[in-house]
Amino acid sequence: MTDTSSTSLGEAVARAAPAPIASRIRGLSDRSMAWLFITPAIALLLAVNIFPLIWAIYLSFTNFRANRPNAALENVGLSNYSRVLNDPNTWQAMQTTAHFVFWTILLQTLIGFSLAYLIDRKFRGHAFWTTIILVPMMLSPAVVGNFWRFLYQPQIGLFNHIVSFLTGIPPSSFEMLGSVRLSPWAIIIVDTWMWTPYVMLICLAGLRSIPDYIYEAAEVDRASLWRQFWSITLPMALPFIMLAILFRGIENFKMFDMVTLLTGGGPGSTTEVASITLKREAFESWRTGRASAFAIILFVAVFGLANIYVKALNKVKQR
Amino acid sequence: MAEVILQGINKNFGETPAVSDLDLVIADGECVVLLGPTGAGKTTTLRLIAGLERPDHGRILIGGYDVAKEAPAGRDVAFVFQQYSLYPHLSVYDNLAFPLRSPARRLDKNEIDRRVREVARMVRIDHKLDNRSTRLSGGEMQRVAIGRALVRRPAIYLMDEPLSSLDAKLRADLRLELKRIQKELGSTLLYVTHDQIEAMTMADRIGILTEGRLAQIGTPREIYSNPANVHVAARLGQPHINLFPANLLPDSKIPAGTQTIGARTEHLDITLGGHVNAHVAWVEHLGDQNHLHIRLGDCKLTTLANPRLPVKPGDPIGLALRNPLYFGADGNRVV
Repeated sequence: MTDTSSTSLGEAVARAAPAPIASRIRGLSDRSMAWLFITPAIALLLAVNIFPLIWAIYLSFTNFRANRPNAALENVGLSNYSRVLNDPNTWQAMQTTAHFVFWTILLQTLIGFSLAYLIDRKFRGHAFWTTIILVPMMLSPAVVGNFWRFLYQPQIGLFNHIVSFLTGIPPSSFEMLGSVRLSPWAIIIVDTWMWTPYVMLICLAGLRSIPDYIYEAAEVDRASLWRQFWSITLPMALPFIMLAILFRGIENFKMFDMVTLLTGGGPGSTTEVASITLKREAFESWRTGRASAFAIILFVAVFGLANIYVKALNKVKQR
Repeated sequence: MAEVILQGINKNFGETPAVSDLDLVIADGECVVLLGPTGAGKTTTLRLIAGLERPDHGRILIGGYDVAKEAPAGRDVAFVFQQYSLYPHLSVYDNLAFPLRSPARRLDKNEIDRRVREVARMVRIDHKLDNRSTRLSGGEMQRVAIGRALVRRPAIYLMDEPLSSLDAKLRADLRLELKRIQKELGSTLLYVTHDQIEAMTMADRIGILTEGRLAQIGTPREIYSNPANVHVAARLGQPHINLFPANLLPDSKIPAGTQTIGARTEHLDITLGGHVNAHVAWVEHLGDQNHLHIRLGDCKLTTLANPRLPVKPGDPIGLALRNPLYFGADGNRVV
């Protein structure tokens, strides 16, 4: 086919059919249009997510201090990492975090699943109660932190007065947020209060996904309620429960806002979870390089644990 | 195994009656098939016997005992559901062993193992005992579900369209298998279906349900050749029975009060080259036989014909009745 004929054919087609969008903007193919549309989003992602991550990795190998931006930058190799890992404060913070994560997950899973199990009975007004139970989850952590500070107030706080009413211990004889022994539990209580509904919601989805006829079959097969629970309900809801644990675990590993508002890491460093140590290192001691190294270590730890966990989750799901 | 008796059973869901005044006796070792269209109350009847629903009125006796107050577990019934109701996280073996491991039964391990393997052979799933139940094909899953019912020796087996979700070939195989197993075990079986071939081949007696009422119960032969009313006649026969007004074909033997005539293939005689009163509208070739669509006045009839019968669309034919079924204005048989 000659060049002229192909041009005239092309023109004829162009006249006959509505022109594709790309040919209206000269010189742009559909593919480049696609790129044009997604580039701003990618650029934004690179600027606020990927670049800072890479920059933090770079800084973790230097002696950079953010309050002295003009000082000479020196490459210190792995010494930031070795210092972080050899610092007893780091391990203290890690232990505090682990304690916090373990107990919040345990309590939230137990209470959340129990609530879901009850709500799933579909009693009268269950929709109303579901909504009421979900309220704490919808509040902002800043609001929750602030008003629990009032609730925990020894003289006027409702919490102390309720404990006093139930046990007879005088309300001003203990301070939930000021005591070394009680303050970790004060935070665990608030986090459990706020996030149990979330776990409940996911568990409820799991329970609702189990078809009724499996229970009916089990009933005809003479399985007791107890056996139905252990051999049907729990195994079939397990992937959902594990998912809830994953979400809560990741979230609580980096818990910052509520702890800051309630105790600020105190008294002393009894509630100083990893993210608070990190913040002190970065913006109070201004050892930016070292803080970056700590952040990278945390990131790798969470990422690694989450990956192992997701593998286990997939195994459960495939059964 | 035991006799099961339903007396005056009524069950409503809200305002809608599901089962009305149902009386049914299933003898020990008998296979009764309930046949009826969707919503006729077949499944509800099974669920009432199993105890998954409670009747509003009436009595249910299993082996002579009134089980009205018993929970499903106390009734000694086995149920096969329409869906594959397997325990998805358990292996085939554990699914089959599940009913036997109930603490109420107290069977020892060897006995459980023996029965599971025996039943697995019976439903031909013994090569997949270690598979997860979710890794089976539809047919295999339903075999396991049937096996899980068979592994027990209950008073009665209740099966709710167990074959309806399978493909035609497998359905035919399992149908034969089920009948063989039922005969072998001498078990009492109440089987629900809307497939007339399943009903005809498996049943000792067929019960026809329409709108929650038992329209007729009898042997397949009786139900087929001696239907009590139009509804029952319409449930059986392939092609569907032809129903047309009594005055359409002159027949001296029509009894008084007949409004509708029902004619299946065996009630129609076709003659060629003689007296003409109908025309061939269409011929469907099925291979071993033909479906003949006939226009008779304003009515269309369908009948089976020998494929060698030399007719084509438009041909005039003579149509005569041979002992058809006569129905009155209320739909009941006129004899």
